[in-house]
This record gives sequence, C-alpha cells and structure tokens, in this order.
Amino acid sequence: MNATTTTEAAPAPRKQSESLWSKAVGKFLRDRWGMASLLVVLVYLGIALGVWAGLWGTDWNTLTPTINAEASAEHWFGTNRNGQDIFERAIFSTKTAFEIGLVVAILSTILGAVMGAISGFFAGRWPDEIILWLKGVLDSIPFYLFVAAVAFALQGYAFSMHVAMVATFWTTTARLVRAEVIRLKGFEFVEAAHALGVPELRIISRHIIPNTTHILLVQATITFVSAIKSEVILSFLGLGVKNGVSWGLMISESTNEVTTGFFNNFLAASAFLFVLVMAFNMFSDALQDALDPKKTG
Amino acid sequence: MLNRTPRILSAAATAVALTTFAACGGGGQPQTKADGTPLKVYRHSMDGAPVNLDPVQSAVIYSNFVVLNTYDTLYSYKYLTRPYELKPNLAKALPDVSEDGLTYTIQLKEGSGFIDDPAFPDGKGREVVAQDFVYSIKRHFDPQNRSQGAWLWQGKIVGLDEWKENGADYGEDVEGLKALDDHTVQIKLVKPFPQLIYTLAMGFSGIVPREAVEKYGRELSVHPVGSGPFRMERFTTAKAVLVPNKNFRQEPVDLAAEGYDPELHGQFGLEAIDGKAPPFVDRLEIDFITETASRWASFTSDKEVQYSHVPVEQVDGVLASKDPITLKKEWSDRYFSYYGTEAGFVYTYFNMDRPALGTSDDPDTDAKNKALRCAMVDAFSWAERNARFYSGIGNVFPGVITPVVPEFDPETPRDSVTQDMDAARKALKDAGWTPETLPEITYGHVASVTNRQMFEQFRGFMVELGFPVDKVRGDSYATFGDFNKGIKTNKFDVGGLGWGLDYPDAENTLQLFYGPNHTPGSNNANYSNPEFDALYKQTAVMQPGPERTEIYRRMNQMVIDDCVALTGLSRTRIYLWHKNVIGLPDREILGGFWLKYVDVKTGDAE
Repeated sequence: MNATTTTEAAPAPRKQSESLWSKAVGKFLRDRWGMASLLVVLVYLGIALGVWAGLWGTDWNTLTPTINAEASAEHWFGTNRNGQDIFERAIFSTKTAFEIGLVVAILSTILGAVMGAISGFFAGRWPDEIILWLKGVLDSIPFYLFVAAVAFALQGYAFSMHVAMVATFWTTTARLVRAEVIRLKGFEFVEAAHALGVPELRIISRHIIPNTTHILLVQATITFVSAIKSEVILSFLGLGVKNGVSWGLMISESTNEVTTGFFNNFLAASAFLFVLVMAFNMFSDALQDALDPKKTG
Repeated sequence: MLNRTPRILSAAATAVALTTFAACGGGGQPQTKADGTPLKVYRHSMDGAPVNLDPVQSAVIYSNFVVLNTYDTLYSYKYLTRPYELKPNLAKALPDVSEDGLTYTIQLKEGSGFIDDPAFPDGKGREVVAQDFVYSIKRHFDPQNRSQGAWLWQGKIVGLDEWKENGADYGEDVEGLKALDDHTVQIKLVKPFPQLIYTLAMGFSGIVPREAVEKYGRELSVHPVGSGPFRMERFTTAKAVLVPNKNFRQEPVDLAAEGYDPELHGQFGLEAIDGKAPPFVDRLEIDFITETASRWASFTSDKEVQYSHVPVEQVDGVLASKDPITLKKEWSDRYFSYYGTEAGFVYTYFNMDRPALGTSDDPDTDAKNKALRCAMVDAFSWAERNARFYSGIGNVFPGVITPVVPEFDPETPRDSVTQDMDAARKALKDAGWTPETLPEITYGHVASVTNRQMFEQFRGFMVELGFPVDKVRGDSYATFGDFNKGIKTNKFDVGGLGWGLDYPDAENTLQLFYGPNHTPGSNNANYSNPEFDALYKQTAVMQPGPERTEIYRRMNQMVIDDCVALTGLSRTRIYLWHKNVIGLPDREILGGFWLKYVDVKTGDAE
C-alpha cells in the first residue's frame, strides 16, 4: 500500500511587488533614530503651529518690570533686558524658524528642480550652458558673504533674507537634479515619450521631474536646516528678522549679557536651535537612507 | 666649516630680532627712547573710528577727537573748568568785538608752527599765519570740498556766500573774512552771531595750510598736516598713532587758570603738569574699538588701552552706589574714575512730514494726529528707558534744553517725561482712534543690539497703549550712515537719535526744531511752527542774558506742547582710567581737546 499524502503542497505565494515608496516607508519606520528625530521635528512643528494659531508664545513682546531675571516659575527661562519672557521668545522663534525654513526650502527646491531638469534635459546645449554658468558664478562667491550682500542690498524689504537664501540654495539642488535627469534621459520611458511626440516641456514636467522626487525630498530637508542656520547668522549680524524675534536675534542680544554672567538668552536660543537642527539632520539622514534603494534596512 | 657662515648669520639675525622685539611691544611700536629710557605712551580708546580727518569733514565726534589734536583752533576749552569755558588757544586773547557786535578782531600768537611735512619747502613746517585761518574757513565754502561744517557760518559772514557763488576763487578777497596782517584776523558779520566764538573752537575751524591741500588733495582725509599738539604717525580704521609736533608752541600749563580744584582734581596727580609745556607723552595711541565687550576686556586687562567709559551692562558690577555714584573698592583701588552728565541728549522724534503722525492741512486730521503723538508721549516711560538702557543714572528732563546749559530750567513741568498710560489711552479714545484706525508706524534704527532693544521697548509701550503689534514696525539700517540717509530722505515716522552739543548754548539743541533747518538739515522732525521760528530768529542775534533765556524756555515749551518728540535724557558717563595716567578724560562738547595735557608715569616714577 502506498501511502499518499492527503494534502498537496500549496503553491508558493506570489511575492507582491513593492514600490520604491512603500519600501522607503518601511525602511524609515524601522529606523528608530529616524523616527525619534521625526517626532522631535513634529513637536517643533506643533509648537510653531500653536504660535501661528495664537495658542502660545503670544507674550513674546510684553514688557515686564523685571530686568534680566533668573529662571523662575513665572518666567521659565528668566527675562531679558526689556523684561520680556525668554521662554515666550524662544517659543515664538520656532514659528520664525519654520516660516523661513519652509519658504526657503520650498522655493529653492522648486527653483532647483526646474533649473536642474532643464539643464540636464538640454545638457550640452545653450540652456544648460547658461544655467551652468549662473551656478558657477553663484557658487564661486563665498556663501555667507553672498547672502549677507544680497540681504544688505535688499534692506528694507520684508523678504530680503528669503530672497538671498533662495538665490543661493537652489544651485546644489539643481546640480543633483541635473545629474539625475541626464541619467533618466536615456531611459526607455523618456525615449517612448519622444517617439510619441510629447513636447519636451511636458516630458520634463510629467515624466522627468516626478522621478527626481526622492532627491528633492532629501534636498528640501537639508535646505530647511541650512535656512534656519543662515537666518540665525544673518539675524545675529543685523541683516535678518526685523519685526519679530528669532533665535539669531536672541543670541545677538546675549552678546552684551554674557560678559556680565547672564546666559539665559544665549542658552535658551542655542538649545532650541541645537535640538531642532540635530533632529532635522538626523531625519534628513534617515530619509536619505530610506529612499536609497541600494541600502538595505 | 662651510656651514659656519650661515650659522653665524643666523645667530646674528636672531640676536637682532630678539633685541628688536625686546624693545618693542604694542603692535610693533618701540617702547623705549634711543637712550634706553622708557617712552611715555598713553593708549586711549574710543567706541568708533573716524573716517575723515580733514577739518571740513570733521562732523562726528571721532573725527573731531583726532582733528583737535592734529590741527590748531583759535579757541579751545579750559581743561578742568565746568561748566565749559572758552579760552584763547592760537588766538592771543578773546576777540575784540565792535560795539554793534558785527566786527571781530582776533590777534594770533606768534611762533606756532605746522608739523614738518614734505608739503613744505625742505620739509620744514612754517609758522601759522592769519592767512591760513582765512583760507581754512574759505575751504568750507568751496563746493569741491562738500563741507559738512559750512552751515556754521552760512549767511553770517559778509561776502562769504557770494564768494562761493562767484566760483570760490581763493585769490579773491572776502570782505567779512580778512587777514589784516600775518597775525591779525578780522571777521565781519551780516548780523550779530553770539555763538561765533564757539564755532572757532570746533574741529571745523581747524587751520589747514594751503600747501598741504595742494599736495595731498583728498588724501588729506587720512594725512593731517596741522599745527596742533600732535603729528599723525599712523592711521588705520583700528588705530591712530600720534607723536608730539615739535613745532608746537611752548606754553606752560597754568593749572589754576585751567580750573584746577584740589577737592575735585587733587587725587589725579595733575599738579605734576603745572608749569610744564604740553604735550607730555611721547606717543599717543587711540584704539578705535567699536565692540563694547572687546573695549572693556582690553581696558581691564591692564596691559592695553588705559581708558574706557563703563559700559551700561557693567555698571552694576562696577558701582557700589548709583546715588551718589561710587565705585566698588576693587575698582576704585585699580582705577581712577570721574563721572558727569553728558553735554547732549538722546531723544526720539516724530517725523512731522509723514502722514501717519505729522501735521496736515486738514485741521481735523492735524488735531487727531497731534492727539495721537501726545498719547504716545504719555505712554512712553522715560523712567523705564533710563533703568534699562542707561543703568538708571541718566538725567531725564522735559524738552530739549539740556541740564548742562545755563538756560536749563529745573522747574519745567515733567508731565511730558512721566508715563501716564491711562491718560494716554483716554486721549487716544477721545480723539477717535481705535486699534483698527491707528496708523502703521515705522521706527527707524541702526541694526545694533541696543538700538533694536530700544525699538522693542518702544513697541512694547505702544502695544500697551493700544497699537496692534504688527502696526509698529522696525526699519533697521546696517550703519549709522545708512540710518542717517534714511532720516534725511524721510524714510520712517519715528527715529531715535542722540545729539552732542557743539557748544554750551541751548541754541544748539533748539536749532534741531527750527523750520528752515528742515531735512536734510538738522531738523530731523521736520517741525515747522512759525511762532517758534520767529523766536529763534529773534534770539539768534541776542547776547546771552535773562531775556534770551526766557525766550529759549518758551520755545522749549512749544516743542513739548506740540508733542514733536519723546525727549529727553542726558546720559551720565562714568570714565575709568589707569592709575599711571595723569589726566582727566572727557568726551563732551568737542571731545579730545584735553589729550595734549595727558601725562603718563613711567615705571621709575610709579
């Protein structure tokens, strides 16, 4: 008697094809440091949105009778020379940082994407030559000198600092996008679009730029951090924020105070800045790792 | 054997270098004389740097400070007498004034020489003569020089304005400005000008030799050639190094005539200079250190600059008491100190030409704007401004006649410098202002930490008054020059300024509100009140006296009543200097005129 199995071996389940994005999300979710840094960034974002909504940070400009008070239950980080609450000012500055970071990151990423895509698509032709020349010129000027010069030249305009930063930050994004576009240009889907007679600008906007999103995302996060740091430096130099308050202005205010042993302004602004920049850098690294198909996680 | 020569050379070079370095210090400057005795070096510090050392451009205190030490003026101030009192400098005596007050005759001292300079034949400085003074004043009216000091004599000296209009030909005589001989100057005025003598003590009237102007042209701005007590040896944006002018007239100091009071000045060792001819130091170095913290660190290191005023943020650490001002023992043991109310004031003006706060042809708008300005005056706390930015030791006073001038009236009501927020809010409401209708106002300031904090304080008061925070906007400028340009082109509604007196006469601050001095003149508020202007004209030709003082005070009250400015405060400055320095520092009025009297105790003398 031949023994037979009552059950037949089930066919192996067909492996679901995973998209780049779902893989990236999975990788990111498994990255504990990445998740922790995202959480910190979200907390900051929450603080900024709260200031926007008028939930907190509303007393950043209120004068009180206490001068350079030490930390207390009433004033968590003490008060400055004008009796203004340093914690309130640090909280309000989060909004300033996000405002500048987001505006500069979005605009310079868009500009970099468009310029990089045009440059890469027409590589070796005159639009590429012009864009490369422009990038070369901008990159040859020391960064902070250029940003300070533009901010100085546009003094009096509310967005002079934003313009200065966007004018500088787009070049790196454009360079990376250009390289990617040159690579993508040889792919079949682009050749197919050509063969079908799709206009070049449509190929760039519909088929090429969307395929550089992973670069743009990472670049946007890097630009966001750079913008915040640059704002702090420009505000410290007196070329930055004019009508609100920012961590840079707080650090600038502290220059006269630290010689008398009062560090509250300096410590509060530096701590807020340090944590956000660290968290955003780690978030940016984690995002880069997650979007890199060559890296396993 | 072959290597021996280079080794000897190397050793010799090292020895030379070591010897040189041993004799040097302080940025490579020698510290000993040829005979090995130590040089007397005084290192002064200033909080800003001059940009132009030509007397026609010496509009700011930093320039004036150096100009007064490199160029001669006919008159100067007594070293120690306070209130300030003029004395003859290059002039032999106070001017001989005609009965109608229109003709001034001034005799010059003989034997005062310009520095040795290649501008002169054989490089030897010649004697200063009356023609040099005439030439120097004419330079202000030469359009090519774009003088910043011509306003002092504009429309006041017979024929000088016409000389300018006729092409500024130096060969042409001016009727009201003549050298009667080598040592006599005659000035004829269009109308009485009692302040004329004060102007002849200012850096603007520094005497420049024509040879130097012809040789150096615009380079004169960095290469002074004068007959003052010092000769410029080196000048950069960070430092000026001066050495004595060996052609300077030998005039022994009469300490009693300079106002010496043993009770006030006895501790400073000034008796040591009595009867000796200045300058006393072998080298005068002036460090221009704009950063307060750096200047303070340099001073307190005890090895670098020998003078500093006490920065506001250090006041609490240095003072044992603010009223009266006394130093903590650890500081008084280390340094000499002196303090006094500045000859000037700080104020915040409202720009009357701007629609937001200014005057209007429409009577209703005009009244409403005035009510708004007056409410802002009531809402502003000078006590808080003093406490936070002037260590609480500033002298708050109503109006624009400062406490150091004789016309000051301590009985002037203090309502305009006393905060009354309830009255301010009520006045605003009564005039029909609401947060929605209040105008957006722009506050101009230099982009420094302190100025920004002052703006924030101003905004804080205005927000308490009822302004939405986004309606009080700051407009910052990187440099004072840019800010000043903003003032002169009416870029903002409100601006904070300081004014240092050119001479101890209330006219010097009242002219800040005289209609014809409208921007780009000195009337930054663009205040125009026909009654005020008429009184100003009336007093301009009056000699000092009770009648003129009475009119000055009426004018002061007009500025207060029309709410033209938040005003004012005279700062109290505390000066510290090292104990090996013999001197009494002062930066008021013209600043710098006292440096020729500074002496330094060398190591042996200490």
